[in-house]
Amino acid sequence: MSLTKLIGISITRLSRYRLRTFLMMLSVVIGITTLTTIVAIGKGAQQQIVKGIKSFGPNSIMVAAGGGAGFGPPDSTTTTLTLDDAKAIQESIKNIKYVAPFTTSFGNTFVYGNNNLVGIVVGVTPIWSEAWTWPIEQGEFISEEDNASLSKNCVIGKTVVDELFAGQNPIGETIRINDTTFKVIGVLSKRGTSPHGMDLDKRVVVPISTAMKKLSNVTYIGNIRVYAEEPSTTRLFASDPSGLSSITESITALLRERHHITPPNEDDFRITNSISVSETVDNVTGTMTKFLGLLSLIILVVGGVVIANIMFISVNERKKEIGIRRAFGARGKDILGQFLIETIVTTVIGGVIGLTLGFFIAKGISVLYGLPAIISWEPVLLAFVFSVLVGVGAGIQPARKAAIMDPVMAIRG
Amino acid sequence: MIKLQDITKTYKKNGDMQVEVLRGVSLEIQKGEFVALRAPSGMGKSTLMNIIGCLDRPTSGRYLLDDVGVETLSDNELSRIRNRKIGFVFQAFNLLPKTTALENVELPLIYSAAKTDLRAKAKAALEAVGLGERMDHVPSELSGGQQQRVAIARALVNDPDIILADEPTGNLDSNASGEVLEIFRELNRKGTTIVLVTHEQEIAAEARRIIKMKDGKVISDERRDN
Repeated sequence: MSLTKLIGISITRLSRYRLRTFLMMLSVVIGITTLTTIVAIGKGAQQQIVKGIKSFGPNSIMVAAGGGAGFGPPDSTTTTLTLDDAKAIQESIKNIKYVAPFTTSFGNTFVYGNNNLVGIVVGVTPIWSEAWTWPIEQGEFISEEDNASLSKNCVIGKTVVDELFAGQNPIGETIRINDTTFKVIGVLSKRGTSPHGMDLDKRVVVPISTAMKKLSNVTYIGNIRVYAEEPSTTRLFASDPSGLSSITESITALLRERHHITPPNEDDFRITNSISVSETVDNVTGTMTKFLGLLSLIILVVGGVVIANIMFISVNERKKEIGIRRAFGARGKDILGQFLIETIVTTVIGGVIGLTLGFFIAKGISVLYGLPAIISWEPVLLAFVFSVLVGVGAGIQPARKAAIMDPVMAIRG
Repeated sequence: MIKLQDITKTYKKNGDMQVEVLRGVSLEIQKGEFVALRAPSGMGKSTLMNIIGCLDRPTSGRYLLDDVGVETLSDNELSRIRNRKIGFVFQAFNLLPKTTALENVELPLIYSAAKTDLRAKAKAALEAVGLGERMDHVPSELSGGQQQRVAIARALVNDPDIILADEPTGNLDSNASGEVLEIFRELNRKGTTIVLVTHEQEIAAEARRIIKMKDGKVISDERRDN
């Protein structure tokens, strides 16, 4: 008997025992739904990691003012991180390409004509653009001369251009930042959103000297960004090709010395690099994915046991059917095939339902919790492989029992 | 075509108790015969029929079907013989529940490798037993006589050489019995060998040869010409 005939018979039989079929499917549906959701969310998280690293910038180290754990904006009450620290890093640490100190201040109002917008002001040195690999799109960037003269020139982000100038060329125009007037000399290229959903293009970049003395009237800075030398080709495949870890350690030691910090006193700065950023995100999502992945496998195994039991009952109840089929020429292997295919068809249909549900749930989670979910081919393959495996695993013994049944005994029921 | 030589069949019952159901049965049935196997209930006639139908194997003795020793055949080969050469009709009809008459009749066809149009063949068989109008009915929607006719259609759909009927009228009223027997007579006229197992004398009287059994043995074998 051909496979299509077998599948046809199976579907007909299954549709006549709907409740039983539904119960058999249920565990596979739940298992595959979980699996699909995890893979979709996991893939999304992975993409977020990549995005995180991209927006943090590769090959980089970041020092932020203020102690504590984790990473975030600098603590504006910490006054110990200075331009001299940046200079010291530049002078005494090896394998560094750029050192870019900068200040960040939130909640500034930008005004042009009748338009206004609230955003970030970043005070920078000319090297900032390279250190962030964030080129300008139009005009010029902040120069050494701007910094030396405390000029009121600024470079604006794409969102600022769109919101304040609405298509008009902003170069040469003047805008007000809070109550100070600045001249727009350049436009930054588009950067998009941060992994936390912040619009990175809603910013105005000014000379760091101007930001410190004219806008905030402070003597300290918020961050120092360090861009390491690019690795030589021979080291490209090492786990830390640029030696970011050792540079990070050297900077930490240097800053502790300069800030007179000895253990057990806490650091008054935080330092992180591209590698630890990706590792942190990777750890969190990795643990979650492993846990839920294991859970879905357990559900599938338990589901398999349930299905096997239902099939054993089914074989017993359908003894007479088996006997009748044997009397009219079904071979042992036709009976084996019928029961096995019945189980596999059940689990595969369960898998398809689970896959569909999983995609919807992943989408739902991504909408509700702002996690990205990626619909890809992997869950489709996984769902198919696992549902067939569960079907074969659960169906083989009941099917064998049916196949070796003595036809004479079977037909008596 | 059927040649039984000294067939015995012993069942184990409750562990050690041995029950000898057949005690050396020898008989020959030629192609085209209409034979009634008559015996009181529980005297081994169903066992004998199962052996003739290749559904069961004898404990000892030789069974030649078309000159082939059945005991030498594998399970798959026996399945093939049941599919091609034999059509069973049971007392309890043994139709698949929740399955239409047409699908029931198709059953032997799906196990034969023939690539014929299953539907058409099954329809023709149902029409031959006068149930062309009831093809889409499931067994629970049919009367006993109709169910047995569906079962006969299923038995003859693969054009078997032999029809083995085990008390085919046992669950039917006299009207329906008459219809069923008429179908058998018609099939026999067209050349199909019919072996009818029964304990009723009136039913056995339909056959041209009556083999009587008792205590697992053949006690008489008479032919009638009519």
